[in-house]
Amino acid sequence: MSRWRQSVVEIQTRKKHVNECERAQAALSKVTACFQQMATSLGSNMDGSFLREELEETRTVAHKICSGLHRRLLSLLIEMEQGQEDKGQVERIWVIFLSSLENFQKDLKKVKVLQEIFPLTQRKDRRALVNAGYAGGTSEVAARAAMVQTPWLSVEETASLDLKNHIVKIDVLLEEMLQRVNVPLWSVEPTQEAWLEGVSNQDGWQEEDESLEDIMEVEVVSQNNTSGCCNHHSCKVGCLLCLLS
Amino acid sequence: MTIRSDRDHGQRYRPRMSCLKKLEATVVQMQDPSTGVKGTDQKLNVTVIPHVITGQDIVAWITKNMNVDNDEAQAFGTMLVAYGYIYPLQDHKKLVLRPDGSLYRFQTPYFWPVQKWNAEDTDYAIYLAKRNIRKKGVLDAYEQEEYNRLHKWMNHKWDFIVMQAKEQYHAGKARQKADRVVFDCQERAYWIVHRPPAQTHSAMDYGLDRHIDPNAEEKKTYDYYRRIIIYTQQAVMRSRVKSSVSLGALAKYITTFKNHDPFLVPCLPSNPWQTDDDSYWELNAPDVEIPTKMRVERWSFSFYELLNDPRGRADFKIFLKKEFSGENLAFWEAAEELKWGTAASMSEKAEQIFKTFLAPGAPRWINIDGRTMGLTVKGLEHPHRYVLDAAQTHIFMLMKKDTFYRYLKSPVYKEMQKKAISPAPHNFTEAQLQENMRNRRPSIDPIITWQKEQEEKAKAAAAAGPIDIKKLMASKLDRK
Repeated sequence: MSRWRQSVVEIQTRKKHVNECERAQAALSKVTACFQQMATSLGSNMDGSFLREELEETRTVAHKICSGLHRRLLSLLIEMEQGQEDKGQVERIWVIFLSSLENFQKDLKKVKVLQEIFPLTQRKDRRALVNAGYAGGTSEVAARAAMVQTPWLSVEETASLDLKNHIVKIDVLLEEMLQRVNVPLWSVEPTQEAWLEGVSNQDGWQEEDESLEDIMEVEVVSQNNTSGCCNHHSCKVGCLLCLLS
Repeated sequence: MTIRSDRDHGQRYRPRMSCLKKLEATVVQMQDPSTGVKGTDQKLNVTVIPHVITGQDIVAWITKNMNVDNDEAQAFGTMLVAYGYIYPLQDHKKLVLRPDGSLYRFQTPYFWPVQKWNAEDTDYAIYLAKRNIRKKGVLDAYEQEEYNRLHKWMNHKWDFIVMQAKEQYHAGKARQKADRVVFDCQERAYWIVHRPPAQTHSAMDYGLDRHIDPNAEEKKTYDYYRRIIIYTQQAVMRSRVKSSVSLGALAKYITTFKNHDPFLVPCLPSNPWQTDDDSYWELNAPDVEIPTKMRVERWSFSFYELLNDPRGRADFKIFLKKEFSGENLAFWEAAEELKWGTAASMSEKAEQIFKTFLAPGAPRWINIDGRTMGLTVKGLEHPHRYVLDAAQTHIFMLMKKDTFYRYLKSPVYKEMQKKAISPAPHNFTEAQLQENMRNRRPSIDPIITWQKEQEEKAKAAAAAGPIDIKKLMASKLDRK
């Protein structure tokens, strides 16, 4: 159907759908980023049943967003085969969605393995948790993930999955996505430039960031210049495999 | 997006990484609050971060618990740091364990190196974008290069990368300050291990990926047992040599070549890799006028050594010219050229060789027995790379059993032995070593070397060609 034959209403609803998808994609990014932050605490001294519950909740939220977004994007793209104007935009969202699904699946696999390595079923398992230097929890991160809104989040019902099945389901989703719709992935043009300007929302944040870099640089203990891996005077190799010692 | 198919029979398992599983168990033991390494607090400007350990404590713990001595404990500790299980807080780019008061911290398990998860480029791009967002201009030169390269190759994913970087940055901000610092340190350490700057030694270098997972236990199916049976049957059928014989051969080889091994005996004048002085290479160049004594001695060990060394081969050629029996060596060289040459030139070369060496009445007819000659001539009708193999081996044996020993007793060789030089060992001081290091220059362009070789070959070919009687007589007449 050419553009002129579509009614105004149809064009508007389509635009609304596309915008919904964009916002949902942004929400998905947020949730996956928070998921990753929380996953880094797995196995460390901050690990606990509380963290794992938070992870589960975030995962279910992500799953809901994913399935809804997947359905909608698919229908948009199928409609599009009849010749639409916003092809570039929808394809862009499609590519971003694919990448974020893959990324999320990677995190899920890591979480699954980590949860197997550090089971918390017995009290003595807590001794195995690595003292990585964390002091606080990740509740703020979880709250950030929970605050995410999408139009279909509270409305639609999606079956809840456990971790293993979730990973498998994403595999299925990805295969389906790659096969059903004919989108040339590498032809998508990004809208962001290569070297981004620094985030300069508020001045307070900017100052905080700079001092963060300073904090991370601990003073270097004074050492002589010829320190290599061993104390041999002509060892210029900085690793343990030099043959001089 | 990334091409994923388990049926592509690609190689994706990382070998020699099975040590990682064992390291993990040790690390878990090490950080045990009661029996592990004692941790203290690290005081920074605004916060206090717990769980900091010192290098000497780590070494002491390893020495005690693994029952090894100090040097080995330090090497083991450095391995732990190089693989990324512990990261240094000072001088974070140098992944070495210093057995003094330097501070280290354990890496969170999410960032542990695991055999199955390769550090992906997408994640690296997100990490670099995040750092750039946090503070512009903070990336090192090699990181900037990588960033540009990734931007070019993952251009279609770039929106995703930027979006995810921003979201991760904001998610990180939602944590407490101390935890943010810890997380940033961890992530930075992770990427130093997995994407090291150029020209640094990385513990993650492991060569090619494998086809089968080396850690997985193989299922004992029917096919597995069938394979094992075939393998053992073939092993039984192999020809065997008594170990006394093979060990005797090995011992003989070692005693002969003992003094020529640069690992056991320092090479004269000095090892260029250690002193940055390349006189050793210059004195042993393939086209040098006067070879070194060691080289000349090596020629007498076996005929194969003599032929392999280009200078030795040239000397042997001179000897053969005096004896007027150069056709054997010429045939051998021609056969080598056929073996190693291009497929296109093969039939041409085969023709040439037949005309020059094998045809009855040829100018440089070689003397091989009738059976080999028959086989070779028949094979030359349909020439392939190894058609001259039988003849070549025969000629090689002839030369080895007869001509070689005459060469060793000949005046040519004895003169060479007298003329050969024995360079004095260098004794560089530290300052001179530094000087040498600064004066390192690239050697001659290999193209020039190759051109020289081609010129030599052309000259030799022209000299060895059939002498034109007319020209010779003409020059003689002219003189009259």
